[in-house]
Amino acid sequence: MKNLIIALVASTFSFAAMADGHAEWWKKAGAPYAGTVLQGVAENTPPGQYAGEVLAKEFEALTGIKVQLENTSWDSMYDKAIKDMEANSGIYDFVYIEQDIVYDYLNRDFLVNITQGLANNPDLQAPGVSLDDFTTFIDYFKDGSGDVFGVPMEAFIKVYLYRKDLFEAADAKAAFRAQYGYGLTPATSFDQYRDNAEFFTHYCADKGMECWGTTVQGHTGHPASTYEFLESIGPSFGLYNWGVNMDNYHSCVEDGGQLNGGRAKAALNFWTQLLPFAPPEALQSTWSEVGASFAAGRAAQGWVYGENAAWIATDAEKSAVVGNVGVMLPPTAPGVMTQAASGNGYIGYFDGGAYGIPHSSKNIEATMLWLQYVALNDHQADWAIAGGRITHKDTYADPKVLAVDEQADGYFSLMRDTGFLYAGAPPFPFHGAGRGAIDPFIYSALAGEMTPEEALDGACKALDQVMSDLGYQG
Amino acid sequence: MFSNNRTGWLLLSPTIIILLIMGLVPFFYVLYVGFFKWNPLAVDPSMQFEGFGFNYRRLIFDEVFLASIWRSIKFSVVTLFFELGLGFILALSLLSSFPLKSFFRGIHTLPLVIAPIVVGSIFKLFTVQGLGPLPHLLKDYFGYTLNYGLHAEQAFWMIVIMDIWHWTPFVTLTLLAGLSALPQDPYESAKIDGANNFQIFIYITIPMMVPVLIVVIFIRLMDSLKIVDEVWMLTGGGPGYATRFTGIHIWKEVFEKRFYGLGSAMSILYLYITIVICWLLYSVMVSRGKNED
Repeated sequence: MKNLIIALVASTFSFAAMADGHAEWWKKAGAPYAGTVLQGVAENTPPGQYAGEVLAKEFEALTGIKVQLENTSWDSMYDKAIKDMEANSGIYDFVYIEQDIVYDYLNRDFLVNITQGLANNPDLQAPGVSLDDFTTFIDYFKDGSGDVFGVPMEAFIKVYLYRKDLFEAADAKAAFRAQYGYGLTPATSFDQYRDNAEFFTHYCADKGMECWGTTVQGHTGHPASTYEFLESIGPSFGLYNWGVNMDNYHSCVEDGGQLNGGRAKAALNFWTQLLPFAPPEALQSTWSEVGASFAAGRAAQGWVYGENAAWIATDAEKSAVVGNVGVMLPPTAPGVMTQAASGNGYIGYFDGGAYGIPHSSKNIEATMLWLQYVALNDHQADWAIAGGRITHKDTYADPKVLAVDEQADGYFSLMRDTGFLYAGAPPFPFHGAGRGAIDPFIYSALAGEMTPEEALDGACKALDQVMSDLGYQG
Repeated sequence: MFSNNRTGWLLLSPTIIILLIMGLVPFFYVLYVGFFKWNPLAVDPSMQFEGFGFNYRRLIFDEVFLASIWRSIKFSVVTLFFELGLGFILALSLLSSFPLKSFFRGIHTLPLVIAPIVVGSIFKLFTVQGLGPLPHLLKDYFGYTLNYGLHAEQAFWMIVIMDIWHWTPFVTLTLLAGLSALPQDPYESAKIDGANNFQIFIYITIPMMVPVLIVVIFIRLMDSLKIVDEVWMLTGGGPGYATRFTGIHIWKEVFEKRFYGLGSAMSILYLYITIVICWLLYSVMVSRGKNED
């Protein structure tokens, strides 16, 4: 909240500065659409709140075009956006496109080609806006010919967070060395991660503290757990693209896939064996609860989405661990880092999203103005501070961002320097259907109803059945 | 006569038209889609007709779908049993006078006015491991670990308890209305003949309440077979498949996986099963009525 208020004040100044530069152009461009109300739907994240509460108001003051952004839950956002686009009802003028759903949307021709739209309407091309200003994250929202279908508004990497105060406690260091025979440090290997988790669970219990050794995003009835396995734990073990063989769309080992291969099974075994060292709410935790648990000081370490990492480290009103958060790359299996660096693999999930315009929108031209306003360089630094996201190359070097970066133990620098080691979701148009087939098996493995081996054998068969039903296996 | 009929039809026509548009058209559309193989995420996203029985044949061998039906029926029977029992006891209690009766009746009715999704949220906040008060209390005072994210049986029974909490007031109020309307003559005659309270309840109250009971069972059965919202909020259908009732299973197939044809066939088949169950109940009701005549 504090960050949002600071951003509101700061944005007023930057808005004034920007208005000095191009205010006349925006006023003139917006004049034909003055009074129009643009409806949008997005996931309720700190960057989304900033867009709705700060940018939308600035844009309305400048152009006379009102933006009503409905920030809602992840499930509800998809439900509303997809139903609207399928029915072609035109309720929403812009929708949030999460990186992993973009292939589905493009495949179904839901989205307006923004590059083409601006080329056809040069009068709508805003001064000071260049798609070249974006980081490479924008590439996820391009089609084969390089045309853009979504304007990135948030991008994060999923990092390893740890509690500096716990890891640096002298008695913890001594006790850890006595028990495990080596020094206590943030984990760089899975064995070390597990030892840390076990150690801090007992350490906290002995001290009467409400904390555990690790987070686990292990909801047994929500896709968040499947995502944690497929996009974070699996890749760090060398399981890429959900274990799907991209040449023949099979995921079982016997047909050339890897979803039930050795790396996948090692990853699922490792992950499920962390449960005894996770807070009791782990099996009902999505990404939001994991962020909240870590912020409440209930975990010593964990894989945490970047959208939560920044506020956990800096927002004292919401986080009890401000000043004590360390940020690092997560541990990886031998060889994975090399594969990621050479572009043949990745170590985790490059998360984020963009605003896109459905074909069904009744105000496409006015919405193009809004999306360009979102893309302006002027407010990127304040938006980064308020929402922990960076989508523009220059934002990293902004002094305000550098100051927050220091508070957040270098989270932004880590994203700038190592972002290339991460990747978005694989380009599956059947993303939702495929993940839905895997979900119950991951839930069962987490609940102990199946062994990790049984779960992955079942998951690969279910995923193969879906890919076969949908005609991807030829 | 003709004029009267015409006025009647004129007055009814808005309702009939709305019913046709809102009820029959979607029904026939779902029936139609159920005959097609159709998923917009497929390589061929068009609707493909593969024979009338294509999706239905597949469902007969779909273990997950069949298990979800069995789970839904089991859930309905269990909740009905407890809601009827508790509802009857509470309705009988509310017939007599006791201090704070009106206050109790008001409090007891509150869950009825709460939206199902909110009921799910309340139970989630109350029971979530690590943060909710109930797991703490159960652990501290009874040494019992409540973690329905881990234990399938706990998840099922937690939803049963939630449904009972939500819907028992409806059963109570309906039965109370029925009990209040019963004629007093049979009771007076029975008392004169020396019948005790238990005999009066078994041989007079229950037989006279059968029509009301059947209506309550009818409504609650249809409702509980359709349960989605509360479960969605509390467990999301997990852990594993433990609380994936048919409504949730259909939602996941249609809106998550986009199997529109298969999902439509599931809806039709489930509707058929619901109708059969309700028809059986209706038959019982009619035969009971005939026997009483």
